Amino acid sequence: MRTLLMMVFGLMALLLFSVGAAVSVGSEVALGEVYRVLWHHLTPGADPLLDETADRIVWQLRMPRVLLALLVGGGLSIIGVAMQTLVRNPLAEPYILGISSGASAGAALFYLGFLPPLLSQALSLPLAAFLGGLISISVVYLVARTGSRLSVARLLLAGVAMSSFMAAITAFVTYASPNPQKLQAVLFWLLGSFSSTHWGLLPLPAVVTGIGLVSMIGLSRPLDAMLMGDEPAHSLGVPVEATKRLLIVLAALVTGILVASSGAIGFVGLIVPHAVRTIVGVTHRRLVPLSFLAGAIFLLWADVAARVLLPSEELPVGVITAFCGVPFFLVLLRRSEYGFG
Amino acid sequence: MASIGLKRRYALLLIAVLAMGCASTPEAETHSRSVTDDLGRTVLLPPSVERVVTIAPNLTEIVFVAGAGNKLVGVTTADDYPPAVDSLPRFGALPLDFEAIALLEPDLVLANANINNPRDAETFDALDLPILFFSFQNLDEIIQRIRTIGDLLGTAAAANVAADSLEAAIAALRRTTDQAETRPLTLFLIDDETLYAFGSESYMHALIDLAGGRSATAEVESVRPILNEEVVLTQKPEVIFGSFGEDYDPARLLDLHPTWDIVPAVRDGRVYSLNPDLVLRPTPRLLDGARLMAQRLHPTLFPSTEPSPTPTEMP
Repeated sequence: MRTLLMMVFGLMALLLFSVGAAVSVGSEVALGEVYRVLWHHLTPGADPLLDETADRIVWQLRMPRVLLALLVGGGLSIIGVAMQTLVRNPLAEPYILGISSGASAGAALFYLGFLPPLLSQALSLPLAAFLGGLISISVVYLVARTGSRLSVARLLLAGVAMSSFMAAITAFVTYASPNPQKLQAVLFWLLGSFSSTHWGLLPLPAVVTGIGLVSMIGLSRPLDAMLMGDEPAHSLGVPVEATKRLLIVLAALVTGILVASSGAIGFVGLIVPHAVRTIVGVTHRRLVPLSFLAGAIFLLWADVAARVLLPSEELPVGVITAFCGVPFFLVLLRRSEYGFG
Repeated sequence: MASIGLKRRYALLLIAVLAMGCASTPEAETHSRSVTDDLGRTVLLPPSVERVVTIAPNLTEIVFVAGAGNKLVGVTTADDYPPAVDSLPRFGALPLDFEAIALLEPDLVLANANINNPRDAETFDALDLPILFFSFQNLDEIIQRIRTIGDLLGTAAAANVAADSLEAAIAALRRTTDQAETRPLTLFLIDDETLYAFGSESYMHALIDLAGGRSATAEVESVRPILNEEVVLTQKPEVIFGSFGEDYDPARLLDLHPTWDIVPAVRDGRVYSLNPDLVLRPTPRLLDGARLMAQRLHPTLFPSTEPSPTPTEMP
């Protein structure tokens, strides 16, 4: 327990440092000015000498962006853990299993006016993304399953096929729409970006990611049991089928809401849980909170790279995560003996 | 395997093209003219060009200004000016409908090197349709292209008159804006949501200079940069022009970019949206766009406050 707490505190300190560093990177705002703005907002009392431009840039543009990257990184990582436990294989991940592209297809369909608004405008887009992700993962899961067995090869192939199909839907509706910024929209939904984040965009991802984190920590024990297989878990009193359904809905919910706010960003849920597992093992009580923190830190830096890598353009952050994630995925795939425990 | 098949197909295509080239040689040698376009391609043209197709709207306008509008036999579906284009056959431009263009049997196809894909030249060559690419990176080039196109299409006299009067009108506007005491920092945005702007190689900076402003993106080394909100906040432009249409509500820009309330142009209410056709198409109508910008930048220099651009004369 003590080592877990120490690790959590260590990662939190690293996360705080990363937030500070990430808001400092960008166009010409002096480092002193950045911390002055942060100090002004985090402490009571006004700073009369505060530079207005620096304030807008640091607090209104960079801060919400950094916080969203943090939420998405953490959220996708714990959903990666959920998927890997669900299929008992470390190769599973929301992007690879088609949840992300299903969610972006749903979001794009709504965004471009092909779906009617069911709830308020602000909630319909995330709802469409959630349903898209849910449909996608359900199809993949049903295709891969025969009886109570799950074929990993079928799972991955179905995931890849479903991803392509959903990406094709996104591209089709974007091109079919009268939207003049077609290419931009396709890139956003398929590769992800935090570029136009503002404070108003944050509450929903924060609430849903929080729900995901608390549920996953609460489910630690049944999830540990499920790693041993359906039969042992069942004999330990875990309602296996219900838990699996819950995991699928949770995965679609969190991924859907995160994709609705930042597009489909891949491979975070693959790299991060794997790295954390090699350090602390497979116990969910440790794996879930540490993956959340590590995922937040990873995506935060990936976004910094997306911002600064090219001189006058900004890369979609999904490009960076794919650069990191795909080689990783291939190595995992090659090491066929890899398993839990 | 596939690459061999592909190579073989290219070889066949090459033979076919060569055969076509040979077939037309005797006639070509006696009468045709050799013209070099702005991509550095040398193209053989028939002695007199009677059927012209343009694959960019700005070239359609320039052909009309050069006095050769009656030689146009087809334009893209994006063309809408001058009104005379309404009666012409249309073809899709994105992607380019090569079949429809071939059916129009043009003697010459005119393309814009800044908009059209230079690789399309190979397809036109294979179809044995002469195509010339022209670039339009500044006002002088536009004037020069009017003369060139008039010369190619046999209406040199009319084209020179139009080019001379355009030059005179530009000089007159410059004399007016040269009297301005300040040259406000001016940002031109193509879109209000995704912040597309003009990079260093564009004609836009010359246009803003003519209107009496300083272009904020003149140094950006990208053809069509996408600015981020931070850059606009640090540059602090005094005037923002956008090609968002004439009935645009400037308040929308602040809705989309709430942090810009401290940008001088937004704070002082100096955000103006223009008719995109007058600023995005490199045609003589850019002068109307420049006049409108000059009136916004320096209202005191233009006593008659109503913005009444003189329509470009169409022969």
